[in-house]
Amino acid sequence: MLPTERIAYSPIANRPPLKLPNGARMAMWVIVNVEEWDIKQTMPRTVLTPPAGGSPMPDIPNWAWHEYGNRVGFWRMLKVFDELKIPGVLAINGSALAAYPPIAEAALQRGWEFMGHGFTQRNMQKVENEREDIRNTADVIAAVTGKRPRGWLGPGLTETWETPDLLKEEGYDYVADWVLDDQPVWLKTKTTPIVNVPYTQECNDVAMMLIQHHRASEYYDRAIDQFEQIYDDAAESARVMALVVHPYIMGAPHRLKYFRRTLETIRKKPNVAFMTGEQILDWYLSIGPKAP
Amino acid sequence: MTDPMIPRDRCDFSAIVDRPRLKLPNGARIIIWTIVNLEVWDIAKPMARQVIPAPTGIPLLPDVPNWSWHEYGMRVGVWRFFDLFRKLDIAPTLSINARVCEDYPRVAQQAKDAGWEFMGHAYEQGPIHKEPDQRAMIDRSMKVIEKFTGKRPTGWLGPGLTQTLETPEYLAEAGVKYIGDWVYDDEPTTIRTAKGPLVTLPYTVELNDIPMMMVQHHGSDHFAKRAIDSFDQLYQESERRPKILSLAIHPYISGQPFRIKYLRELYDYLNKFDGVVHWNGEQIYDWYTSNVPGPGATS
Repeated sequence: MLPTERIAYSPIANRPPLKLPNGARMAMWVIVNVEEWDIKQTMPRTVLTPPAGGSPMPDIPNWAWHEYGNRVGFWRMLKVFDELKIPGVLAINGSALAAYPPIAEAALQRGWEFMGHGFTQRNMQKVENEREDIRNTADVIAAVTGKRPRGWLGPGLTETWETPDLLKEEGYDYVADWVLDDQPVWLKTKTTPIVNVPYTQECNDVAMMLIQHHRASEYYDRAIDQFEQIYDDAAESARVMALVVHPYIMGAPHRLKYFRRTLETIRKKPNVAFMTGEQILDWYLSIGPKAP
Repeated sequence: MTDPMIPRDRCDFSAIVDRPRLKLPNGARIIIWTIVNLEVWDIAKPMARQVIPAPTGIPLLPDVPNWSWHEYGMRVGVWRFFDLFRKLDIAPTLSINARVCEDYPRVAQQAKDAGWEFMGHAYEQGPIHKEPDQRAMIDRSMKVIEKFTGKRPTGWLGPGLTQTLETPEYLAEAGVKYIGDWVYDDEPTTIRTAKGPLVTLPYTVELNDIPMMMVQHHGSDHFAKRAIDSFDQLYQESERRPKILSLAIHPYISGQPFRIKYLRELYDYLNKFDGVVHWNGEQIYDWYTSNVPGPGATS
């Protein structure tokens, strides 16, 4: 199905207002992406290009750069979530559950939500059997948490034409790849519709640090600018803001403080509900428009 | 030979919070490890990095402008480093292409006289994947440095941190004790090779003037800014477990007149704190191996 067949255009200004419980005007959800990079593949991203270019394999420096996030960076971030009492959402590669059990355990102990994030960190268009990948990811998450994940984020937000259909058929209730609105929306699938919860490409450390090459403080500046505008926009009808981090990027010692400051600043604002993707979904299911 | 080990076979995953704490002597909290990279860029090959892309984007050989850019580092920039570190009384680790000892003996001699540690860094600059005979190249590099300094290097850093899956075996075989290529932790770790253990030291790809200046295109002051942000975080964490802050610099980048002052400011900042020590790679290796239960232990 073409995207336009899944969702009709709708201007946000014309919709009936959505209200969050307890006087909250907006919802915040914070997503930590945990990935496993296969040393036998080209690394998904690089911090250091090899001398004279190309992409030699194995790529130890960039593999190690990512591995640092899971050995050290994640634990630094965890303290921020703990101290500020913010519920985390773990978007995790299926293969990462077996590779990094202490991370899954730490998230489980804290009641974080687990979201499927591809079985491996590669473009969904390059996955041999997409349905199996989606199903296996849910299986391994269920094996660790005792519960099948309700949410899905494609690796690098990638999808094929069929992804939403397959997700729904495999029991997922929401997807976050469609960064096209500040409120949840319904997407049609071959079977019943699936919800998309607003994620973010720009308030995302991959975009800010690795693609746009900003200095670490940009994370704070942009997140607060984003927050203030959405907070303002949300006066009449609730809006959702997502904040995205990767342990190998914002978990680096020179960047962590900007992540902490961002959450400290937002934490102090009244009427901001920190939620998980699942909680945003359930709220939308209970008070939003019915499925088309 | 059986299949080479992949990184996971060499070292089990270990979360930093699950490990026993290391201890530093004499109340030290954080080690600053400074690494100066000296390279040889062969004019017959494509240059390792480019400050100025070729007109129309197609690189042609010889690449005189980019060769000259690097050469400036050896002629001028590195002397700013020697001056700075003499004033600071710091002897950094030299990550040195062995061919520097042959092509730039004046520079290598200065470092030797100043008591800098020589860490192996390939024979010349280029990805190790393209070496026709890696084992021979490693051996040659070690020999050339040993001949020049009278001491076989303890450490090794791949050119651009590159390795193939077989590299750790070749390095262990050549007598290397620690490597800087595995920037995956804040602490040293021990990895397995078929030729005995190797220690990894936390080198840095992020507090490194190549990514910051040449890949990410930040302003000159960003090196100090990012390093200070890192230091502040690590210093706070060092209350609980010792930390290592590595700084990697290249004379053709940080030795430029418009960048050197930020390096000076950075060290002035770091030296204001109690418990800050400046060690070279070998000192870190000696401390680590005398504190962990024997080489061969996994991370």
